[in-house]
Amino acid sequence: MTAVARAAPARPPRPSTRNRWLATTAVLALVVWAMATAEIDLERIASLPEGIGLLFYRMFLETGPEWSYLPDAVQGMLQSIQIAWIGTIIGAVISLPLGLLGARNVSGILGSNVMRQILNAIRAVPEVILAVVVFIPMVGIGGAASAYAGTLAIGVHSIGTLGKLTAEVVEGIDPGPVEAARAAGGNTVQEQRWGVIPQVMPDIIAFWLYRFEINIRASAILGVVGAGGIGTSLEQAMTFSRFPRAGVIIIVIIVATILVDTASGWLRRRIIEGGAGRVEEVEITGMSSPLRMDGDAG
Amino acid sequence: MTAEAPPAATRPARPRGSPWGIAALLVFAAITWWAASEEFGIGFDVIQLATNLTRGSQIIGEFFPPNWEYLPRTYGPMLETFKMAVIASALGCGIALFISFLASRVTTPNPPTYLVSRSVLNVIRALPDLLYALIFVAAVGVGPLPGILALFFFNVGVVVKLLSETIDGVDTGPIEAARATGANRTQTVRWAVVPQVLPNYVAYSLYVFELNIRASAVIGIVGAGGIGNNINTERRFFNYDNLSVILIEIFLFVVVIELISIWLRRRLV
Repeated sequence: MTAVARAAPARPPRPSTRNRWLATTAVLALVVWAMATAEIDLERIASLPEGIGLLFYRMFLETGPEWSYLPDAVQGMLQSIQIAWIGTIIGAVISLPLGLLGARNVSGILGSNVMRQILNAIRAVPEVILAVVVFIPMVGIGGAASAYAGTLAIGVHSIGTLGKLTAEVVEGIDPGPVEAARAAGGNTVQEQRWGVIPQVMPDIIAFWLYRFEINIRASAILGVVGAGGIGTSLEQAMTFSRFPRAGVIIIVIIVATILVDTASGWLRRRIIEGGAGRVEEVEITGMSSPLRMDGDAG
Repeated sequence: MTAEAPPAATRPARPRGSPWGIAALLVFAAITWWAASEEFGIGFDVIQLATNLTRGSQIIGEFFPPNWEYLPRTYGPMLETFKMAVIASALGCGIALFISFLASRVTTPNPPTYLVSRSVLNVIRALPDLLYALIFVAAVGVGPLPGILALFFFNVGVVVKLLSETIDGVDTGPIEAARATGANRTQTVRWAVVPQVLPNYVAYSLYVFELNIRASAVIGIVGAGGIGNNINTERRFFNYDNLSVILIEIFLFVVVIELISIWLRRRLV
């Protein structure tokens, strides 16, 4: 046998970048088109830093924020938090059974698809739109009615987002306990109660808390359209050009939101890490779920 | 060795309820009572809800049939909404790419820089889109410009949060490899981190674009341009048949954009 020198391995061809370039060019073209035709004066863009700077100056520096308004602002923020809390509970309670029905391993392919589409449709309508076109006309404006409209808007929107997430978590469960419940003679409801719920509850409670964080932001803005909470005060302060007062309100919103986020985040981590042996699964949902959830922050 | 029968398995003791769980339930009940009560909270009441629902169904009845003659008048604002979303996504995602590297420990080991960018991010994220719109309308007047600005800040908040968390989770192997070949900080980020997070970044950007379509429908309500302006006008005059046209249109638009975006994301990631 003759020793034939083996050919040096050829360098693999560079992967084609054609598609990447096509996509980049298309996106750039779209952006340029939008900018060129958006009818925005260059003059106004030039005056932007000045306008924003002036507003900031009026809110926080000229006379300082109107600290005497602080108790009212805190009161308004508390109402926003209450709206978010009750709204989240409404969403959580209703979304749990709907989410179960939206899971393929619970209600079959047809049933889960129908339920998913219903949840998607609910999710597609932002809270503010729900409040403006449905709930404010329904319960009226002013005092308790406003808060009520906001709560319902948040509750209904949360059904859509929480239901979808619940369905996704339920589809990822270990089928063993469900089979065991069935083998022990459990009926459909008992299967859900003992086979499914204990597996998914830590994740779902974490979603509820996360949703609460998002709903605080939502309820802070609902007041702007007249649905109760701190947004109403901000809208009025802006309309009547009471900028130092608006400054206080903005500070209260930022501080309260960060406080609630921190507390809720801590609790969520505790709940998720509490379930030993679930770490991998949690990481997976953790990767994808903030994506879908933040989704509805708007 | 004698074969001894193993003792019959005793049933394990029932796990005791944790005191934390009970405390959490109590706190939950207390907050709920506080929030729902007439005296301190929003006065939430299930019986009242039932009465309202009948009135609600009446109002929803007024949405039908939609007034399709109104449709052509929404094309312009809808296109404006689309353009606002495109511009704000492009600017927001572009800036967010750079900020994200400052807001991750992996790429910014310098504690002060990291902490400052994290805090700024938290403040940016604490304000919702509609409040930005309200502020920018006050600062620069009505029109698409304050809308784009509002969406821009909103986008930066979302993308930096998601992307910096992705960067936190990258494989550190390539970073070490890049450093071993003598790469400086920028080169390390460019060749060891960016390629790892690029697919996620594209996915987040598409996702933010989806959000913007929905959000820009909302921010128009306070005068920040786009289809939201029409919502505001029509609701003032109680033109529910026109409103339902707008709603159907936004709904379809959002669904179409979402489908395209999901398809693209699946191809890219």
